[in-house]
Amino acid sequence: MPESEPDIFLNKEGICNICLTYEHEKQDDNKEKLLESDLLKILDKYKGKKKYDCMVMCSGGKDSTSALYFMKTRYNLNILAFMFDHGFETKEAIDNVRNAVDILDVDFILYKSSFMKPMFSKILQTDSKATLCHICSIWYMDLAYDVAARYDIPLIVAGWTKGQSQTKKANTQSNKNHYTEFLLMSEATECFLNNQLKDMPQYKRFPKSMEEVLKRAKKRHKSLVISPHWFLPYGPEEYVKIIKQELGWKAPALSYPKGSTNCLLNFISVYNSIKHFGYTHYHVEASKLIRKGVISREEAIEQLKQNFDFETLNKVASKMNISFDDSL
Amino acid sequence: MNILGLSCYYHDSAACIICDGVLVAAAQEERFNRIKNSSDFPINAINFCVQQAGISFDQIDYVAFYEKPFLKFSRVILDIVSKFPFSYGSFIRNTPQWLQDRLILPGVLKREFAYKGDVLFIPHHHAHAASTFFVSPFDEAAILINDGVGEYSTSSIGFGSGKNIDLQKQINYPDSLGLLYSAITTFLGFNANSGEGTTMALASFGQVNYLEQFKKIINIAPDGSYTLNQKYFSLNKRKRMYSKDLITLLGAPRKFDTDYDQRHKDIAATLQFVIEDCLIKQSKYAYNTFGSENLCLAGGVFLNCVANQKILEQTKFKKIFIQPGAGDAGASIGAAFFTYNSILGNERKFVMNHAYFGPESTDKEIEIALNAKSLKFNKYEEQTLLEIVTERIIAKKTVGWFQGRLEFGPRALGNRSILASAQDSVMTEILNSRIKHREWFRPFAPIVKKEKANDYFKMLADSPFMLLAPKVIEKMKTIIPAVTHIDGTARTQTVDKETNPLLWKLLDVHEKKTGISVIINTSFNLKAEPIVCKPAEAIIDYLNSEMDCLALGNYFIEKHDEI
Repeated sequence: MPESEPDIFLNKEGICNICLTYEHEKQDDNKEKLLESDLLKILDKYKGKKKYDCMVMCSGGKDSTSALYFMKTRYNLNILAFMFDHGFETKEAIDNVRNAVDILDVDFILYKSSFMKPMFSKILQTDSKATLCHICSIWYMDLAYDVAARYDIPLIVAGWTKGQSQTKKANTQSNKNHYTEFLLMSEATECFLNNQLKDMPQYKRFPKSMEEVLKRAKKRHKSLVISPHWFLPYGPEEYVKIIKQELGWKAPALSYPKGSTNCLLNFISVYNSIKHFGYTHYHVEASKLIRKGVISREEAIEQLKQNFDFETLNKVASKMNISFDDSL
Repeated sequence: MNILGLSCYYHDSAACIICDGVLVAAAQEERFNRIKNSSDFPINAINFCVQQAGISFDQIDYVAFYEKPFLKFSRVILDIVSKFPFSYGSFIRNTPQWLQDRLILPGVLKREFAYKGDVLFIPHHHAHAASTFFVSPFDEAAILINDGVGEYSTSSIGFGSGKNIDLQKQINYPDSLGLLYSAITTFLGFNANSGEGTTMALASFGQVNYLEQFKKIINIAPDGSYTLNQKYFSLNKRKRMYSKDLITLLGAPRKFDTDYDQRHKDIAATLQFVIEDCLIKQSKYAYNTFGSENLCLAGGVFLNCVANQKILEQTKFKKIFIQPGAGDAGASIGAAFFTYNSILGNERKFVMNHAYFGPESTDKEIEIALNAKSLKFNKYEEQTLLEIVTERIIAKKTVGWFQGRLEFGPRALGNRSILASAQDSVMTEILNSRIKHREWFRPFAPIVKKEKANDYFKMLADSPFMLLAPKVIEKMKTIIPAVTHIDGTARTQTVDKETNPLLWKLLDVHEKKTGISVIINTSFNLKAEPIVCKPAEAIIDYLNSEMDCLALGNYFIEKHDEI
């Protein structure tokens, strides 16, 4: 790809960062064919040693709900389910988690907080290109580590799928290269966190990057982050069927990309990403899936079509007492 | 009740799972780790079996292992001590492996998949015996086992009835038909534990001119018991299996990748003759002792389809059962069934009438593999696919055929196969020069509709696992020359409409178009690699060879569009 494209950088040999990352991940995929028995080895280390064996980060989506399901039914772990609601979670998502923890008889913390709203408002009201989802994921991981430390939980379980290996690397090793594909986005986020929060004392201790989250977590409490989807051979078709049947899981009526279970704020995040960068992190993920042959280009384009309008954006923005049009 | 059966650490590692007495999944580790005849702990196969069974790991009630490691180790150590100091190298090479893995299997199971339940160690020949008798259709049968060596036993004769197996007579190491066959195989320049089939094929080109010499090597009694003259062998003394005395007796060994002269062919022929003679005598003894008309065979020696056919032809047994993984891989199945039926006393309820117990690929997985290589493909309805594949076979094209669940055992039995026309002898050359690159003298095997098999071959029994080699009917030799070996036999697989309907339909379409119900079926792999397991591996073989077409499920690709 040429450097005229956003977020594209060529190395000395003239190969772009997207291709390099893809090749690197492909090698990793070949090397690391994780098996379910590898997961069992990890679980065996931690099972039955503390009050909770693991904490499952629940979003109400298919991946984390199925992760919760597998950890309880397939591995019989003592689980604390943890969900946060920054005020933009959908009712379906919260209902999905409530149903699941009831049916599976799992301890559950729903952390509802308006803490992040002023920060989100600031992003929208300034000309910052910071990506809402990046900031939110930093907050969520920090919170997750906090809760794990509070309850002395050795294992944090997420619903990341095999395709989301970026996230896996981010949480298993401190490696700045994991943002190679999102360099401009992550730089914008870091710039916002470093410069725009000075007049907002409530965010004094807010981590400036995911690396900082990991560094802090290491000092605070040792928790390993894993996802059962890295180890299990079941694809979304199989586990969605299971959680629909066993847990009454429901997909939200509207979410971007089509078929996902993302929060309402994601609509604004997507809109802004396209406005500032011409693409979103979903486009990067989809392009990887196209290269791997998992989906066709046409399917990806269909999935990534903008399926929301200004009315939706404004409805979400109104929760922060701003009119979305004002921030344009 | 779920029982995981395992075999590993020697060659052909495998795992299987039986749920309430029914075999649900079985696979060799080589298909996953892509190391031919892999002896590694079968962790990939175990993961597959448990997931295929739809259970979790903590629902495994027992793990059954295919031998008794401490007993086997005692034999290895005694052998090493008796041959010291020549066995020093063998001691240094092997002992660490025993201490790290083989003698501490429960620890390995805990380490590999956190298993803490019961582990049962089944005597090796009992595992073999169970692998054939308990999954056979017989209520009672004579049982004959011959392999390289387990703990001590190398040949066993016994009787199976209901859920009991009684192995009454055994021959112990170092006398062993399996080791004799392997030693001569290495003498002829092939690898032990994988090249025996090549020796068997070469044998058809020779004359039995070395009988006097072989009489010095092996002494066979009328009841089929035998002793080997150990001066001709060098087991555990040197890296090679034979001694200088054997070289003096038979002449210089053939070096790997050199030409074959008549002497090599004659040695192979004599070896094959001697082995057949011994097995026929053992079988006759078993028939006379137990009076059953059913015979169950197991152990690597019985992968020798030519010898199996002779047993069928030259004894009074009416029915013979050999399961597709007759070697050590199949002993994993035997260990599991011995536990379920014999130790736990459950009734038998399973007959192994097909070999399709491995992984299967979904349409989505096939599409992903094709798209990843940017290959243009067509997806057809079943009947259209069958018509197209048949047309290509008739046009002397080679077709990769990847369908359904992977076969268990060393043979490709029509789900991971390369298919070609049996009607033109040039096809053997095409398959060899363009795809398989194997020895020129090795025959290609036919598949035939079960009900039509007698029209082409002098069948005395069905051969669903390609473990019999009946004679081709004289007038058919020119009709299906590509599968007729020089000795007039063919390593036939009879295809049953019930157990492999798609392959049967393909043969049916072929028959309607050509009048012939026979096609070449050779394993879907390139030289020195295991049979393909996943679509991506099939595609790589297709691209790396001159295979003309590839049918992956209902997806079809071909290299030349001009047909």
